Amino acid sequence: MIKKSSNNNTYVQIYIGLLVMVISLIISISIGRYPISIKEIAKIVLGKEVSELTQRVFLTLRLPRTLMALLAGAGLSISGSVYQTIFKNPLATPDIIGISSGANLGAAVAIGLLSGRPITVAILAFIGGLLAVFGALGLTRITKNIGVTTFILAGIVIGSISQGLIMLIKFTADPERQLASIEYWSMGSLASVTDSKLLSILPFFLLGIMGLYLLRWKINILSLSDQEGSSLGIRVNRIRISVIISATLVVASVVSVTGLISFIGLIGPHIARIITKKNDFNTAILGGISGAIIIIIADTLARSLSSSEIPISILTTFIGAPFLAYLMRKIR
Amino acid sequence: MYKICKGSMKLILVLILIIALLGTACSKTAQNDEQIEKPTSMVIKDHLGREIEIDKPVETIVSGYYITTSLLIALGLKDNIVGLESKPEMRPIYSLAAPELLDLPSVGTLKEFNIEATVALNPDLIIVSSRLKDSVETMEKLGFKVIAVNPEDEQLLNETILMVGKATNRTEVAEKLIEYNNNKANMIKDLVKDKERKDVYLGGNSNFLLTASSKMYQNSLIELAGGRNVAEDIDDTYWAEISYEQLIIYNPDIIVGVPSTTYTKEDVLTDSRLVSLDAVKNKDVYFMPANLENWDSPIPSGILGSLWMTSVLHEDVYSFDEFKEDAFEFYKEFYNIEIDKDELSK
Repeated sequence: MIKKSSNNNTYVQIYIGLLVMVISLIISISIGRYPISIKEIAKIVLGKEVSELTQRVFLTLRLPRTLMALLAGAGLSISGSVYQTIFKNPLATPDIIGISSGANLGAAVAIGLLSGRPITVAILAFIGGLLAVFGALGLTRITKNIGVTTFILAGIVIGSISQGLIMLIKFTADPERQLASIEYWSMGSLASVTDSKLLSILPFFLLGIMGLYLLRWKINILSLSDQEGSSLGIRVNRIRISVIISATLVVASVVSVTGLISFIGLIGPHIARIITKKNDFNTAILGGISGAIIIIIADTLARSLSSSEIPISILTTFIGAPFLAYLMRKIR
Repeated sequence: MYKICKGSMKLILVLILIIALLGTACSKTAQNDEQIEKPTSMVIKDHLGREIEIDKPVETIVSGYYITTSLLIALGLKDNIVGLESKPEMRPIYSLAAPELLDLPSVGTLKEFNIEATVALNPDLIIVSSRLKDSVETMEKLGFKVIAVNPEDEQLLNETILMVGKATNRTEVAEKLIEYNNNKANMIKDLVKDKERKDVYLGGNSNFLLTASSKMYQNSLIELAGGRNVAEDIDDTYWAEISYEQLIIYNPDIIVGVPSTTYTKEDVLTDSRLVSLDAVKNKDVYFMPANLENWDSPIPSGILGSLWMTSVLHEDVYSFDEFKEDAFEFYKEFYNIEIDKDELSK
């Protein structure tokens, strides 16, 4: 009985979260330098006549960008939550297994050594993220003792190698253009999101989310010790790798378009855990919703606070760091 | 189990609905693309190699690049500008020649360009740097005429001037500006052809030890003015950092600081690490003025940078007063302002 009512609570919390998310989505979608009123948006959605330019701006820029904010927040938070569970580390982020540095290296190669075309940057960032994770997974095989620490160590090794190579590229890069672009990429921005970019990453994103959804029961078992997991009939290592690959697909598809977005994989899940006081997959979903709300708000600020766009990580860091301090306060 | 499935499935359902909405809405725009053929039209090839058809007179322009904004003023189009790059207050020439620009909406910087802000102004023509390739494609998709320019050297600058002049129906003024620049360049060549070339060290704006390498515009500026860039052996395309020791080996005849440096002439003259340099001993240290435009860059008034340098290197054939006169004339002719000659420094 008790279990059931606490589950019901979580659903109520998820519905409330969804409501807040939809409200922030609607507010965000009507804010920007190009004036589009909520009335006009309603007309576009209902297929009624509005000015052609308004319709185009809404469909190629505003809507894809706001949806990308939603996907980025939800994807990074859900993956963050999954990483924290399977690595039994409440401060684990996608970077723990090297994905952010890998994607960053991919982007740096594209900007510093190749054409630097946005499409090249996105593809190489995506591939870089995946390669880093596979590299780290491969590294874990050199030891016989495959435990959580092995994965984290492998992530550190791959992350450091990537950072070294990034520094090398930065050193040889043209400081006016390439260096600035590499730096800007690592601060994240949704400014260049268009409908085509959103649609091109969507399949990978959904594939990863589906994978995590199908593995949701096993993710919780991975938070137990490996012996307990094995005794429950779970092939711990194989599942861990499937979970990592699914989460990696989600993160890589997001950052390939947006660049690195700090802290969100940490704040989203923790907000949800404070609300539900649990650590199950529903909490991960609530974390995804929280993350989406934060990114939607942060991106709305990023595009409206000043005349130029503000990199989104600046805003998420200012939200994230005080929040971490708050978490510190709770540790006694 | 069932309930958890239900919760998550709803989330997925919402996602799918949103995607479907996006999909149907997108297909609608495709049908609305109709172009009306106009008899008078011209095609301009820009620095991204794209061909832009200008089929009606350009009345409103957004310029997202300070070089083209300044060019538009020179072409007499300041009243047609409806939006420009961020931080226009950093460009003294705007407040002198077109103060109304300071109140216009900003469309962002080269790093973070704001597409929505640009298209909200609904301009007939958008001019940006070719570095904003991605945004150029998006704005074109939205149905705007966009010219991407890359005025990196003299040749590309002249192309930019012609391109913008042609698109805005100001070809005559554009040609006049190019002709002026060419005439002055030829004049300098004549003046310095028999002069001994002086060794010049050019200090960058953020750091005195950053210097122009051989493939930069600044290198050709020094050479045109009858100098030799001491750092010409650095085979690079951007500012290179050198050491004090290297500078002592270079031992330039003349040290020049670019406009808006973070250090002053006094800093250089009093730096104990530089006392052994001939240029410091002879007090041959000069700073390009920053009160109008940064003449060390490929901008429409860039020829003034070469003229200034000539007056610094070879005062006997082209005096600083002659330079002041030329600068005055240039801004009178193309920017319709009378600059204060006494503010020009060296």
